[in-house]
Amino acid sequence: MAGRGKGRTVVINNREVHLRPEKYYWSDFFMALPAVLLLILITYYPVAELIRISFTDWRLTSRTYEYVGLKNWIWLFTSKTSTKYLLNSAQVTFVYTFFNIAIDLGIGLLLAHLFNRMTKPYAAMRALIFMPRYIAMSTCGIIFLWMFNTDYGVINRMLEWVGVTEHINWLGEGNLALTSILILTGWHGVGYCMMIYLSALLGISRDYYEASSLDGATGWQQFRFITMPLLSPTSLFLFITTFISSMKVYQSVDVMTGGGPRQQTEVMVYYIYRLAFDDNRIDRASVVALLFFVVLLIITASTIRITNKNVHYES
Amino acid sequence: MVYKQQHNVARRVGQAIRFLLALTITAIMIFPLFWMLSTSLKTEAEVMGSQLVFWPEKMRFENFTYVIEKVPFFRYMLNTAVVTAMQMASELLLGIMAAYAFSKGKFHGKHLLFLLVLGAMMIPLQVTFIPLYVMVAQAGMMSTYWGVWIAGCVSSYTIFLLRQAFMTVDNSYLEAAHVDGMGKFATLFRIMVPMCKPTVITVALTAFMGGWNNYFWPKVIVKEQNMYLLTVGIQKLRTSYGGEVTNNYHQIMAGVLLSVIPVFIVFALFQRHMLSGFTKAAMK
Repeated sequence: MAGRGKGRTVVINNREVHLRPEKYYWSDFFMALPAVLLLILITYYPVAELIRISFTDWRLTSRTYEYVGLKNWIWLFTSKTSTKYLLNSAQVTFVYTFFNIAIDLGIGLLLAHLFNRMTKPYAAMRALIFMPRYIAMSTCGIIFLWMFNTDYGVINRMLEWVGVTEHINWLGEGNLALTSILILTGWHGVGYCMMIYLSALLGISRDYYEASSLDGATGWQQFRFITMPLLSPTSLFLFITTFISSMKVYQSVDVMTGGGPRQQTEVMVYYIYRLAFDDNRIDRASVVALLFFVVLLIITASTIRITNKNVHYES
Repeated sequence: MVYKQQHNVARRVGQAIRFLLALTITAIMIFPLFWMLSTSLKTEAEVMGSQLVFWPEKMRFENFTYVIEKVPFFRYMLNTAVVTAMQMASELLLGIMAAYAFSKGKFHGKHLLFLLVLGAMMIPLQVTFIPLYVMVAQAGMMSTYWGVWIAGCVSSYTIFLLRQAFMTVDNSYLEAAHVDGMGKFATLFRIMVPMCKPTVITVALTAFMGGWNNYFWPKVIVKEQNMYLLTVGIQKLRTSYGGEVTNNYHQIMAGVLLSVIPVFIVFALFQRHMLSGFTKAAMK
């Protein structure tokens, strides 16, 4: 591959011979160009714009703006209301992310084991469990809003049967509201984790299990020392994708609680949205969005680094 | 012999318990969808009554006609269909072209451009929506199909998946096509795409789901009621009486059910592709 693109000169029979360079095609370049240009327009350019807006005093409603230096950044870290809301939204987001990952990966793995039967009834049940994922989260939110309804919701009415006669106001209190959101998103996402884990389980050779049971390994030992290590690349993949999607959570919160009660379920994206479109302060919203972006990048990159060392890859 | 029989019985019982457990979990998982269906067929008295009604005594379809009359339901559906079709078309066409260039093409800056594509995966819409909103507003594309389309017009994930598939196509096919005088586009769409059909179908279905279930961006961009997408439009059923949040859940559920029917049709048609496709994307 030496001299790629430049060609090179070699000596054959005392004569200098110039070899033709590998050919490059403009047509290939133009095949990639439209997609790349549009990607730059909708991802990289907006990030640059975000940085620029963060140094202005731009309001959503006004056409003109001025550069104000670090004013918005100072506001973010020193103003009492902003630090309060920022810390609150960061906390809510992390709590949500932690439990969502636990639910999706934990229950997903359990379901993958339970539904690991290659018969028709099991295949049908798997398809049904996967089904919620095809419906928009916002639409599922309406269904759960109805099920969690205080007076007429099916959940409170079923709880009556087991003696809980006082109707629970599911969305009226912070922790309960967040729990309701977690139930909704867990219901929506667990089928996906189940399917991914299941396909990884099917990829593990039966020989390992047969050999270890000849050596007298118990079921738990097999799970702990064969299944878990061999599933670790899958777990890492699911962890990172679930982590990123949990950090970006918006739809379920918007439909179920609207960030309430009293900002107790206000996640980061919701806070950015509120600053930009309710308060019309896109300058301040840009600062929070940038901070959110940096946090997302750092945590994703470090998770990949740390876990890469501890992940077992089957050769 | 006796031992073996006992062993068999224990196995059978174990399998039965496992099956019952699986069935129960499936029932719980499917219950919200059943509840949507059942509520949409009820009357207001059955929904708000003191007794919990699991299935209405007489199935009624008034709620569906109510929703269709109350909100421009088919208009919403048309809007969603148009935007979804636009996004699928551009995402696939641009994605296939770029994937070809990045897998089989030769040009300067190939690796740099591909890094740009990969990096774009790390920048979510939830970060960029404010500048994008300003761009769309300044371009006068608020409440238009193009305004909704632009945020999902191309996907780096699609390019990546297609590139991985195209890499597996042997170069000898391309050389044979070249010798036979086939142009690049013909080679691409007559040879590469058919050879990577499963991945192309997966990508197309993902694009369909993404378009049909899009909520965040349309909510930001569409302000005119006539241009609402389904996901946003049915949210407005909840506040249909003068902006006040209402409890007309039998009608709301009818709207929800109507809005997800197209997804279920696609689900039924392509179920096998979708399940295998989702897992394949994970195993890249």
